[in-house]
Amino acid sequence: MSDDVQRAPAKGKRGRRASTGPKAYDAVVLGGGHNGLVAAAYLARAGMSVLLLEARDELGGMALTAEIDGVRAPMLAHTVGRFRPRIARDLGLAGSVRLIEPETRVFAPHPTDGTAITLWRDADKTAAGLSRRPNGAKTAAGYLKLDGRLRRIGAYFEQVLDGVPPSLDGGKSVAELLAGFAYRSPFTKLAEGDGREILRMLPMSAADLVGEYLDDEHLLALLSWRGAIYNAVGPMTPGTGATLLFDGITGDGADGGAAGQTVVAIGGPGAIAQALADAARGFGAEIRTNAKVVAITERDGRVTGVALASGEEIVAPYVLSTLDPKTTLLGLLGVEATGPELRRRLRATRSTGVTAKLNLLLDRLPDFPAAGSGPSAQALLRGRIAILGSVLGIERAFDASKYGEMSETPVVEALIPTLIDPSLAPDKRHILSAVVQYAPSDLKGGWTEAARRQLADRAVAVLESVAPGIGNRIAARQLITPADLERDWGASGGHAMHVNEGFDQFAQWRPLYGIGRYEGPLDGLYLSGAGTHPGGGVTGAPGANAAERLIKHLRRADD
Amino acid sequence: MAERYDAIVIGGGHNGLTTAAYLAKAGLKTVVLERRSILGGATLTEEAVPGFKFSVASYLVSLLRPQVIRELDLAKHGLQMAPSVGTYTPHWDGYLDRRTDHADNLREIRKWSHRDADNYDDFKQTVTDITRFIRPAIDLPAPDPYGDPMEWLAYAGLAKEFGRLPLRTKGALLDLITGSAYDFLRRWFESDPLIGTMSASGIIGTFLGIKSPGTGMVFLHHYFGEIDGSFREWALPQGGTGAVAAAIAGAARAAGAEIRTDAPVKQVLLDGDRAVGVVLESGEEIKGATVVSAADARHTFLDMLPANSLPGEFETAIRNFKFRGSSAKVNFALDGLPTFSAAPPGVGHLMGTVSISPSPDYMERAYDDAKHGHPSRRPFLDMLIPTLVDPTMAPPGKHVATAFVQYAPHKLAPEHGGWDNIKEQFGDLVVDTISEFAPDFRDKIVGRQVMTPLDLERTIGLTEGNIFQGEILVQQMAFNRPVSGWSRYRTPIRDYWLASSSAHPGGGIMAAPGRLAALEILKSKGAAR
Repeated sequence: MSDDVQRAPAKGKRGRRASTGPKAYDAVVLGGGHNGLVAAAYLARAGMSVLLLEARDELGGMALTAEIDGVRAPMLAHTVGRFRPRIARDLGLAGSVRLIEPETRVFAPHPTDGTAITLWRDADKTAAGLSRRPNGAKTAAGYLKLDGRLRRIGAYFEQVLDGVPPSLDGGKSVAELLAGFAYRSPFTKLAEGDGREILRMLPMSAADLVGEYLDDEHLLALLSWRGAIYNAVGPMTPGTGATLLFDGITGDGADGGAAGQTVVAIGGPGAIAQALADAARGFGAEIRTNAKVVAITERDGRVTGVALASGEEIVAPYVLSTLDPKTTLLGLLGVEATGPELRRRLRATRSTGVTAKLNLLLDRLPDFPAAGSGPSAQALLRGRIAILGSVLGIERAFDASKYGEMSETPVVEALIPTLIDPSLAPDKRHILSAVVQYAPSDLKGGWTEAARRQLADRAVAVLESVAPGIGNRIAARQLITPADLERDWGASGGHAMHVNEGFDQFAQWRPLYGIGRYEGPLDGLYLSGAGTHPGGGVTGAPGANAAERLIKHLRRADD
Repeated sequence: MAERYDAIVIGGGHNGLTTAAYLAKAGLKTVVLERRSILGGATLTEEAVPGFKFSVASYLVSLLRPQVIRELDLAKHGLQMAPSVGTYTPHWDGYLDRRTDHADNLREIRKWSHRDADNYDDFKQTVTDITRFIRPAIDLPAPDPYGDPMEWLAYAGLAKEFGRLPLRTKGALLDLITGSAYDFLRRWFESDPLIGTMSASGIIGTFLGIKSPGTGMVFLHHYFGEIDGSFREWALPQGGTGAVAAAIAGAARAAGAEIRTDAPVKQVLLDGDRAVGVVLESGEEIKGATVVSAADARHTFLDMLPANSLPGEFETAIRNFKFRGSSAKVNFALDGLPTFSAAPPGVGHLMGTVSISPSPDYMERAYDDAKHGHPSRRPFLDMLIPTLVDPTMAPPGKHVATAFVQYAPHKLAPEHGGWDNIKEQFGDLVVDTISEFAPDFRDKIVGRQVMTPLDLERTIGLTEGNIFQGEILVQQMAFNRPVSGWSRYRTPIRDYWLASSSAHPGGGIMAAPGRLAALEILKSKGAAR
């Protein structure tokens, strides 16, 4: 890290103001999720007086550890594989966050035919397993080739996670424009073949992309599912290739490849939020919970602070919002501040959530016949457990959600964190944490008790297809629908990634071109959170990047 | 022994004929070899029902490059085009009828939504600004990201202009290139028939739904055709689209090109790594210094070249080039005009396009069926009655109607037993679909021709029945069409060129690939000299 970043701000100009009238800060950070905490920590570390406001009564946003009858469970996000090591280093989290990466990345029991695919950390081991499938030699070779391609491209994407997406405006030629789009420096390091493939693959569908390497129906579904998980798209939707490529980030502690990552935090994702909050406070940031912001105040196109639901006003020349872009720009600002054009484009931004979370407390570990039994079975079950059969099966599940219906047979991707981190459960009980898709936030008829029960039952039925008897082991179940995400977490549309991911809402046009580089439409307003580059997942990158953009702006202003 | 040509053009569709015309005009001894006994490829007029002439495949012209019309003097060679104006969208609760008069159109739109009418001008202006900015690109070869910097020089002005565009235009352009037609339209509009109908421009010929990202690009492709000053103009060639091919063929012949029909090429002859001629199915060998293929990329590289003559990576890339035809054509001979249940008085609403696209959900569900391997149970239709503009297409008092139908996926689910098995059933479905809005339609039919994607493939030679000789997908456009590194009409085989819609800027009756390929060939000859 550079000395510049740590330099204290110029005296007087941004120092804490006299405490008459409303309380004043250099910057207010909206949202106490992991991105807000990261941003607050970076700003405070740079010497600014920072206030972080969280509407809920606890910090963490969607990175939470909940307790179900004495057993700790990942309430929403359950894996944290892409958390940026450089942020952990910058903020000194080394001692306080411990991550575990099981050797099994994914265990995928087929929902009907009794077979299973296992993806391992070691691609050769995966290929050895694949080669025993029908037409396996070809599949294994295709898998290794794809894995190699995704790792090489992933190494490129690893380098573009940090920093501000380049502007498209400065180029004097289309070559420069393209190079700007593609982040010239890491791009030129790529072999030409990989560079060409990135430019071709970004707009592709994940199913088309993977399908060029292999045609094993189950494996094709499993790998291309990574382009669709958490988003209102199917694996055949164009642009999911970008999500898949991005998810393959490799380098600086990350290791995506074709299998994708499976990493959990000891103590659950809440442990990361806790460590980040401690770090932010350690750098001097002030953090308030139960502090719902109802407006960003502005005068003459420049941010002046925020107003709270309590009526309190807080003065600050800079506001960095990690809330979703629609809440920030449509909810907290008036039309005179944002203008009709931006509002119109934002309203059409895709943010309908389709992902529900089902946490099951199990009185003992269920049997997955396809995994066998004993310790080797337990090793398999330490990975993500993906239950899907074919690309068209996933598409059918997706189709329902386009018309406000939940999938008859949802796709379920589960994790049993208590197998990886036994400290979560004080006894032999287990948590099965399941992503259930597709369950649209705008469900026809609304998310009534009956609808909630129906979705949970359908998800359990899917689990039963690969773990017969699991239904009888459920001691408690907790369901969080997109409607809950919208109401209780404030995410417009109930989208876990704030706005849909994919090539259409990507890089400098995430959430929209013109506000995709962390600077909002008003002076002093910074946008961050999952709705900005590089998107959702527990990476911390949007928080750090936006904070660094603000710090850089201040440094320039000082010159 | 046959004589030796300077250039052999494989394929007598509008692109092949265009290439031949330009090469012949430049003094090259040129021959066109067409597999069928009729010229035109997919720009084809045929009397499929006695007395009734149909534009069998392609049916409207909007993209035909003005340079081609001018430089080949197509008017002199008999090309006459009449504007095809307006779009009529029947709906269960009424209709939407847009024609030329702006105030009338706003009134029509206001019937459905005040907001839509209020936003219509802003939408038009945005799309006009975008197409005005991007249109020069379709008359330039695509620059390669790793190519000679000189290739980029032609684009320097475009890049500078991009920087100067207002944010709203830039934003909208990116929205179109990366997003879906539906999401784009939703920024302005809310009413079902307006979004349904306009979104159709995003799916024509493509195996995607209106809500699929990427359809914005297809939408943009269809709006290229706008002629300065007017908004998204379409035209009907007198005598059907075959008349376009006939005019270009006339220009080619006048320039000295020889055109042979019933001359299917079996294989391109190679001498080492260069093309030196072709051998016909008949066994006849024809020698030429340059061989140009106006067939699609799969025929060009996988069917007409000897095995193992291409670099492995290139061949893989061609195999990965997506075709996936998604549309059919059903042509009707009618003994009178159909009466739509909800329509304005007169026949004005039938003069342009009749679009069965009543709502976005209707359109998207049509795609859902196709995705799973079924013809749409309720398909999108784009129907024209050309006889209202060009009465020569049918006997006096009679009419022809041509319906472009989507989705008709080339690859059907096994239970259908293949296209030949369900062809007539599919034709009936189209009749039912039209009759839902015009109950007397079925009684007016005196003949019909169903062109399934399989028919388009077998008859015209369009791989997988794709009307654009390769899907219009973002990843298959510009420098990626058909293969990254090979977008400038050259191929890995020396003296073998690609001039079809599989090359930049893609399909539609544009003649742009044919013209640009010819110019590149001539440039290379000039350089060699």
